[in-house]
Amino acid sequence: MEYSAAEKAIIWLCSRPEFDSRTRAALLRASGDPARIFSDFEKICSQVIHPPQNGLYKGDRSSRGREAENLVAALREKGYFAVTAASADYPAALGHVYDPPLVLYGAGNRALLAERKFCVVGSRVLPPWAEKTGRSISEALTQRFAVVTGFADGGDSAAIAGALPSGKLICVLPNGLDVCYPASHAQLRRDVAKKGLLLTEYPPATGVQKYSFHARNRLLAGLSEGVLVLAAGRKSGTLITADCALEYGREVFALPHNVGAAQGVGCNELIKKGAYLCTDAEDIFAAFGMQAPARRAPVLSDGETRVLSVLRETGELHAAVVAERAGMSVCEVQAYLSSLELKGLAVRSGGNRYAPL
Amino acid sequence: MVSKVVCYALNGLDGVPVEVETDVNRGIPAYEMVGLPDTAVKESKERVRSALKNSGLLFPMNKITINFAPADIRKEGASFDLAVAVSLLKASEQLVGADTDGIVFLGELALSGAIRPIAGLLPILISAKSHGFSRFIVPAENAREASFLGGAEICPASTLSEVVRHLKGISPIAPVAAQKFVPHPSRKGGADLKYVKGQPVARRALEIAVAGGHNLLLVGPPGTGKTMLARCLPTVMPDLTFEEALEITKIHSVAGTLGEEGIVTERPFRTPHHTATVVALCGGGNRAVRPGEISLAHGGVLFLDELPEYHRSALEALRQPLEDGRITVSRASGTVSFPARFMLCASMNPCPCGNYGSADRVCTCTPAEIRRYRRKISGPLLDRIDLQVEVDNVAYDDLASAAASESSAAVKERVDMARRIQRSRFEGSAVSVNAGMGERELEAFCPLGRESDAILREAFERMQLSARARSRIVKVARTIADLAASEEILPAHVFEAVSYRLYDKM
Repeated sequence: MEYSAAEKAIIWLCSRPEFDSRTRAALLRASGDPARIFSDFEKICSQVIHPPQNGLYKGDRSSRGREAENLVAALREKGYFAVTAASADYPAALGHVYDPPLVLYGAGNRALLAERKFCVVGSRVLPPWAEKTGRSISEALTQRFAVVTGFADGGDSAAIAGALPSGKLICVLPNGLDVCYPASHAQLRRDVAKKGLLLTEYPPATGVQKYSFHARNRLLAGLSEGVLVLAAGRKSGTLITADCALEYGREVFALPHNVGAAQGVGCNELIKKGAYLCTDAEDIFAAFGMQAPARRAPVLSDGETRVLSVLRETGELHAAVVAERAGMSVCEVQAYLSSLELKGLAVRSGGNRYAPL
Repeated sequence: MVSKVVCYALNGLDGVPVEVETDVNRGIPAYEMVGLPDTAVKESKERVRSALKNSGLLFPMNKITINFAPADIRKEGASFDLAVAVSLLKASEQLVGADTDGIVFLGELALSGAIRPIAGLLPILISAKSHGFSRFIVPAENAREASFLGGAEICPASTLSEVVRHLKGISPIAPVAAQKFVPHPSRKGGADLKYVKGQPVARRALEIAVAGGHNLLLVGPPGTGKTMLARCLPTVMPDLTFEEALEITKIHSVAGTLGEEGIVTERPFRTPHHTATVVALCGGGNRAVRPGEISLAHGGVLFLDELPEYHRSALEALRQPLEDGRITVSRASGTVSFPARFMLCASMNPCPCGNYGSADRVCTCTPAEIRRYRRKISGPLLDRIDLQVEVDNVAYDDLASAAASESSAAVKERVDMARRIQRSRFEGSAVSVNAGMGERELEAFCPLGRESDAILREAFERMQLSARARSRIVKVARTIADLAASEEILPAHVFEAVSYRLYDKM
């Protein structure tokens, strides 16, 4: 695709390491028309930077133009694109965000930026039921939203697994597009870039920094209309996303966890403070006043129904206890449980225990 | 005068006949040994000299030459001592009139003239019998082991002078009476499933594993009884047949680990430590090639506790024997093939801290740590383990009404029944248990109904199974159907089989 002069000017401005993000924003504001950055950069600098610093940028008009062309060519060569504050499809929602990025680098399906967006996040270690629930919720959400999430293990992976098949998935990275973190997600990164969209505010080749996760979380919340927290410990990083969401006026949802479960303390705290309690995608659709898409009820045999009702009575149970309460042998129950698991109605939560979904 | 006496050397599990030729000449006293003897064989000179003297016999003060034929194979160990002594006596004309033709002499000599036991006697006897020998003189301490051969005249001797008197016909030694093989009625280890409390899922998996000869992986936090469960495996396996017992005894005899009973009567249970090397597991050695742990576990169970702690190379070396049931070891001294058809039972923790998936304790591992821990076990090895099951901490109160646990004997009855079904199914083919089925047998004996096929297809897609994992599930489902005495593989059997593929998503 072709970039306008204004877009090229912003891409160039964001590539200069001499300026921090606040100065860049001020320079852009002072320019009036971004394209002026190429012609009158020295003048704009003298308006913005006090006291004037000589030799901050040594190039002239033609070198700026050349550098911008090189940057655009490099992006194109790697198959990336840049959405700038001057682009038509720049997400307007980012206007609420503190220090909004002037450029978003992306790889994949650019059209997703125009969709309604909803964020699903969770800590890296979470109970299996929360993972399965997160997966099915984000799968259902794709019927109305593009799912926005990070790229880590656990909660992010659950959201990705649910949304990736439909392609309505935006992963916001805390690093440049050509850096893979965690390295074990190399294949996943390729899949998301092919079917969904990878997005980041960092130019290519930027590595991961500790602070960039926090900065990324503000974009997760900023891009989305609401945030669902699958699991969060007391000091989990996902709570930062939830805090940002509150600050920007987004809806916050949380899965309820068992009292005392360390991996869910943060979620329960959010609910206490007034977040929506969410157990399935319909809760989210209802909060946005949407009609929930119709669901197909699975067909169950008598045995499966009995096992499922035993499970639903008390929640998580050991297979042997299910067998005892349902009055069946352990091997029968094993068979029913694994068929319920395949139908997405139960989940194995470790130690031969199963939880209903 | 030249004399000739027969004894045997071992090559792997096979005996090789060796002729000991002795020539006693006039000349300066000397003692020369030729025919590729190793140090232990050369040292027999001193043992033989003292043994002769202390038995009231004469060590000739002449030029003595001893030749081991054939000369091109290496002779190792002390089992040639008796043959050398007899050959020397014969050459020095101290055994006039004695009949040594067609007798195989086996035994190590003590300085006092006593005869010490040797390792690997049974495999030698079996080979020698097939070579047409029927008369043997063996160490008295090996008599029990030898007594299972049958159809041969085996005379146990405890001293050299007994042998001399026997050969001269002064006081013949009574041959050992052939014994009938009885599989061990009461197990030595004392393990029994009735002592395993709770664990219904793992017990069921164990029963299926033994019934179909499948390999088993037990996953659970430390201290939940994984080792105890594994120890019960041999107690539910079918009794040894005589042929199996002989084959196992051969291996243990060569390794020198045979007990007092003289024959292996119960299925082996081997637990090599996780520091074991490839050679310790698979066999080898710098001189004679000795069987490794996987061969010693032949016909029984190889239990690898804390599987991820083993050396990667040692685990990968198991892959080929797991498929073939044999291991071929090549060394400078030759190539030897040992049987290694064992049932693999492994145990591991779910994560480095052991609490992953636990109900009441919190796992402190990061996802990357868990991934790294599980990645120590390669996919191909995991693919060969049909049943992967969790062993868990069941609170005793949860199972308040659970009756006393079933004993091994009761489980064994069901296993025997399932094995009978498999025997008649695989009549006349090389396959003996469900786990050994190839693609052809799968097609012939494991047709799936439309419903079962649909289930498998769904599991295949949801769990992203490999093609090999699919056929493993079908095999396990076949065993579950056999345990239920069902001709057909029903959907419930497939579902249960799927529930034992814990780590396919790893």
